[in-house]
Amino acid sequence: MSNGEFQVRQRLQSYSRRLFVQRAGLLGGMIALGAGSYLYNPRGSWAADPIKVGIATDLTGPISWGGIPNANVAKMVIDDMNASGGLLGRPLQIYLEDTATNEALAVTKVRKLVTQDRVDVVLGGITSSMRNAIKDTIVNRGKTLYIYPQLYEGKECTPYLFCTGPTPAQQCDTFIPWLIKNGGKKFYLPSADYVWPHVLNAYARKTIEQNGGEVVGEEYFPVDHNDYGATVNKIMASKVNVVFNTTIPPGLAAFFKQLYEAGFNRNGGRLACVYYDENALNITPAEEIEGLGSCLDYFKAINDPGGNKIQAEYNKLYPGVNPFTAGSAATGMYRGLKLWEAAVKEAKSVKREDVAKALDHAKILEGPGGGSEFVPGTRHVKMNMYTAVSKGGKFEIVEKSKGPVMPGECG
Amino acid sequence: MSKRSLGLIHKQRRMIPRIEALLLTAFLVFPVWADDFWILFATRVLIVGLLALSFDLVWGYAGILSFGQALFFGMAGYSCALLATKLGVTSILVMLPLALAVGLIVAIVINLLVILGKRIPTTVFVALGTLTGSYVVERLARGWSYVGGQNGIPSLPRLTVGGYEIVEGKGYYYMALGILLAVYVGLRYLTRSQFGLVLAGIRLQEARMAFFGYKVQSYKGMVFALAGMIAGLSGGLYAFHEGYVGPGQLGPVLSTQAVLYVLFGGVGTLVGGLVGVGIIDLFSYLLSQKWETGWPIVLGMLLLVVVMFRPTGLIGLVVSERERMGSFGKRDRTASAKRPKDAADTIS
Repeated sequence: MSNGEFQVRQRLQSYSRRLFVQRAGLLGGMIALGAGSYLYNPRGSWAADPIKVGIATDLTGPISWGGIPNANVAKMVIDDMNASGGLLGRPLQIYLEDTATNEALAVTKVRKLVTQDRVDVVLGGITSSMRNAIKDTIVNRGKTLYIYPQLYEGKECTPYLFCTGPTPAQQCDTFIPWLIKNGGKKFYLPSADYVWPHVLNAYARKTIEQNGGEVVGEEYFPVDHNDYGATVNKIMASKVNVVFNTTIPPGLAAFFKQLYEAGFNRNGGRLACVYYDENALNITPAEEIEGLGSCLDYFKAINDPGGNKIQAEYNKLYPGVNPFTAGSAATGMYRGLKLWEAAVKEAKSVKREDVAKALDHAKILEGPGGGSEFVPGTRHVKMNMYTAVSKGGKFEIVEKSKGPVMPGECG
Repeated sequence: MSKRSLGLIHKQRRMIPRIEALLLTAFLVFPVWADDFWILFATRVLIVGLLALSFDLVWGYAGILSFGQALFFGMAGYSCALLATKLGVTSILVMLPLALAVGLIVAIVINLLVILGKRIPTTVFVALGTLTGSYVVERLARGWSYVGGQNGIPSLPRLTVGGYEIVEGKGYYYMALGILLAVYVGLRYLTRSQFGLVLAGIRLQEARMAFFGYKVQSYKGMVFALAGMIAGLSGGLYAFHEGYVGPGQLGPVLSTQAVLYVLFGGVGTLVGGLVGVGIIDLFSYLLSQKWETGWPIVLGMLLLVVVMFRPTGLIGLVVSERERMGSFGKRDRTASAKRPKDAADTIS
């Protein structure tokens, strides 16, 4: 146990002891002075009252591959903050809730965080449907700050809701010109039929056309669709250069296999998929996705000092099947916590209005993939974006954005 | 001897009213000491309790195995949410009748498709038919961007009554409790009436009831429509309480949950469904606090154990089979039926 950690533990322990003494004192005072005295609030004297951080994420259910690394990162960052003396001289306490990939259950869990635990901030949610289900309970009804960490379709402009993952603009603005240069002009957009692919494709189509490319086809399938014969034929027959894929597992594996077997990759076609991170590389055999391009805020292969430090610490604490990657929102979670920390330091308070004001322009110099900062008035982050290509089951970085990319949301 | 056995039955019969009285008292005084979170939690239990009641009505009383209760629940929820977000209507005087009406209309449609055919449908046919309906509508909602697709409709305004918002908490709690109580009393009266007796007959010996001349399918259709209304009401209240609707509220998962609540609590008792909702929700919440990543497994095992070893549900631990079956019509009817001689005397 490090010295700092020891100190915080001691502080937490002494906190409960002190709390007991204070409550006992308060009770004594109430009895002595009569009923009116409980209006007197001794809170100001509780120097080591912990700051409460609520984490609501999918630890179980189909999205747990993303929720578990999110929770791990949160625990790691909070422990680090505590080890270095906490925040505003107060320790941080984490309140972890499993939303179980179930929106109905999640509302109850988040309610617990805001009404019972009275946390100072909530971070979490992976899917957009989850964010939509819980945001009202946190932000409007619960009057609490909410930070959403995952890459998503954009258009979330609710006040007091801050997004720290990449938006369509960030994933397309550098990536699509690269694809046109390193693939070709003819695009095909096979997609899963839900909100994110629809909105992302609209943006991608615009960017493709602006850069002189052409969209040959755009198609939507149920998420568990498994026969892509007709689509693959169309892709092969119309000599498509780039398949800009937004189908997702479980349908994804079948699609990549059928496309590979039809000879798309062999004939020099370029696969592209913007949520592909190191974890996703394991979904299909490496040869089926050889040359697949992805664009995210962080890859292990960037080999940046900030990212490497986080990777090393994360792998030491949580080795195994739930790695620290961008596609699972783990990088967004890290960024969210650090930006929030910076805002709290600046505001010297954890009150929602004060923190939101500071968070509006909060900035961190180091993080996975480099520094990042909120673009004032948008509650979205500008950050470096990286284009990587899968080679033999590993990502290689092929391009880095020139400086941070603007999120292009809520402006 | 007959007197003694009657006395025994009478003694046993008292369990359900006791549970009801206990629950009612508990729910009435609960908000006095509970904090905000638990009041919200209990409100949700009350609202989902209505959904459980609707399933108990169709399965426990009319023998219709409906795996589609979430369909009525979700359709009503979506209708209310659309009206509230697109047109800004929030009055409870519009919303609750709307929820009831949508539940009723959807139930009538499903009725026509699944139950009121020329051929008498088997239990499995009805189960699969309703399950399919629920599944199809969920898939459609996921793909339809007007209703938010996968993301559903977030940020619903609050229900209002005469310009006042009904804020989640004590106000919403007592409103939900009042509605649940009214529905419960109504259903209890209905299931213990002559109508309920016919339903019991249908559940146990459908063919015989048909030979007696009862239009079995019409009875089933009526019960199914009524249950649809109750599930719709539940869905409308739920949407405003949780502040959002999503496609999950239409689908087979919630439909199955309704089935589980009732099987776990005790089928065919009305109150069993409420007990099931309360205990399952409380347990899953407490378990998830203790073991964040493994709690669904423990919960599943628990449900399995109860359903395997107590087919009559938790209520079956204290309520006898005879009581569960119930008595019908006016209280003294059994007594006078036992003495036909007296009856004959009065006629002559």
